[in-house]
Amino acid sequence: MYLKGEFREKETATRAILDLKAKGFGPDALDVFSNEPIEFAGGVLDRPSRMSLVVVASALAFCLLTILFVRFTQYNYPLVTGGMPLFSLWSTGVVFYELTMLGAILSSFGWFLWESGLIRRKSPAPVPEVEPGMICLRVRCSEQQEDIASEQLIEAGATGITKL
Amino acid sequence: MDDVRKDLWRPLQGTSWRYLAVLMPLSLVTLWGLIAWGYQLDRGIGVAGIRRPVFWGFYLVDFVFWIGISHAGTLISAILRLTDAEWRKPVTRAAEAITVFALMIGGMFPIIHLGRAWIFYWLVPYPNSRLLWPNFRSPLMWDLTAISTYLIGSTIFLFLPLIPDVAQLARHATGWRRWLYRKLALGWTGSDREWHALERAMKLMAGIILAVAVSVHTVVAWDFSMAIAPMWHSTIFGPYFVAGAIFSGIAALILAMAVIRKTMRLEQYLTPHHFNNLAKLLLLMSLLWLYFTIAENLTVWYGNEPKEMMVFGARARGTFAPYFWTMVVCNFFVPFVLLGIRKLRSIKTAVIASVTVLIGMWLERYIIIVPTLSRPRLAASWGSYAPTWVEISITVATFATMVVLYLTFAKLFPIISIWEFKPHDRVPER
Repeated sequence: MYLKGEFREKETATRAILDLKAKGFGPDALDVFSNEPIEFAGGVLDRPSRMSLVVVASALAFCLLTILFVRFTQYNYPLVTGGMPLFSLWSTGVVFYELTMLGAILSSFGWFLWESGLIRRKSPAPVPEVEPGMICLRVRCSEQQEDIASEQLIEAGATGITKL
Repeated sequence: MDDVRKDLWRPLQGTSWRYLAVLMPLSLVTLWGLIAWGYQLDRGIGVAGIRRPVFWGFYLVDFVFWIGISHAGTLISAILRLTDAEWRKPVTRAAEAITVFALMIGGMFPIIHLGRAWIFYWLVPYPNSRLLWPNFRSPLMWDLTAISTYLIGSTIFLFLPLIPDVAQLARHATGWRRWLYRKLALGWTGSDREWHALERAMKLMAGIILAVAVSVHTVVAWDFSMAIAPMWHSTIFGPYFVAGAIFSGIAALILAMAVIRKTMRLEQYLTPHHFNNLAKLLLLMSLLWLYFTIAENLTVWYGNEPKEMMVFGARARGTFAPYFWTMVVCNFFVPFVLLGIRKLRSIKTAVIASVTVLIGMWLERYIIIVPTLSRPRLAASWGSYAPTWVEISITVATFATMVVLYLTFAKLFPIISIWEFKPHDRVPER
């Protein structure tokens, strides 16, 4: 089950998150919803990301594939080059560079879709309606934890608590 | 925040007569450009003024010009994002949209220039029975990969920060707009995971797109400097073109902002402060452009190499001198006076300076391309160039198309990023 607590200020939402974490609710059980991005201090609700790593790896993979593709093409369908080498890293460097960057761009976008959950949203977790300017904290809890979660939300300053 | 939302959503509702009065004539000009292109496709490239030895005319001038304009958005927006400049917030989307549309227009010109546009896909690497694989060493192939990468990157860079705004719009819109916004929102809910991923992706994309933007105009410059032609074979062409691109890009951004500020009544969001900052950037780029222009021309003049001096002479005191000196006045003297003197600097003067810079930068592309081609190393091959009505029509139509695309975009999506406009620090009491 899910509980929703509404907050007017970032500080009270922060307090609720810290209190809930102290009571054993993991970051996976907590989701904050808002119409604008909210920057919490480090350690409040960190979302570790592998985006940079994936982007670098994809860029390198695109670079390697492009080099292989160009080399394969130049040797298998040879052009008349007047004695110049069939495959030259220098004169094809621009193509490698651009496709390396294309790999980085496409992986940034793809990983954004993956990490944000936009393309793997299978769970039927209810999404709270957020009033403009409000911050909603959604807590995933069991029946037994409901009272504890509600108590923490009220203590932190939630203006309204709803069962989703 | 609700007032901000209302103000920025207002231009999306209804269509004023003023909006239509601008859009309709420009759509007709676009249509005329398409007819001219259709005529060229039917009759062949011979209807254009390009002929031996000037094989690159208006089309290539337009290509370089529009690719330059495309640096308005992504580059400026990326720099301002990376440096976390607060004043950027109302400016970024307007700039990013310019990039995407200018690239779409600029990217069309090599295809128009091909003449037989229907076989443009021969540039794309694909296996075929006649072994016509592309030559990866050709700068044409470099252009194809660079521009395609930049267009894909710029479109994603425009789209990413648009997602939260269209998700908001989807909740309030009706009919086909609701359908469109819901599709584009990709199921955005506003969770902190989504915001974190978006901000990370935007930061990474800003860094990547900067590297791509610089490379794109450098590659365009290399189209010229890789040829051993007088006044093209220069090592500073790469940075010279990049500086010129940013210069013309800022001018286009100022102009676009002034138009949407007036037509969509966004005076309180696009304030004199924003124009003042952009005007200072324009002035800075004007000085940098002057530095590069002097460096390029002084080196040629002092070196006194006969073949280069032929082209230099044609530019500075010959057939092309009126264009050359108009370019200097437009790109340096006007911005220097109007924006350099503090008392004169205003939105109006920034717009005037921007218009002259755009004229000057188009002339600069013309001055770079045509004189060199009309005066090749072998004097017996000298020739001249005069554009035909087809080239002029297509050129004029691209400017109209740019405005039509931009106004249509501004009618469909908020031209100012709403979620970025005001960070959620403190929420007022209800």
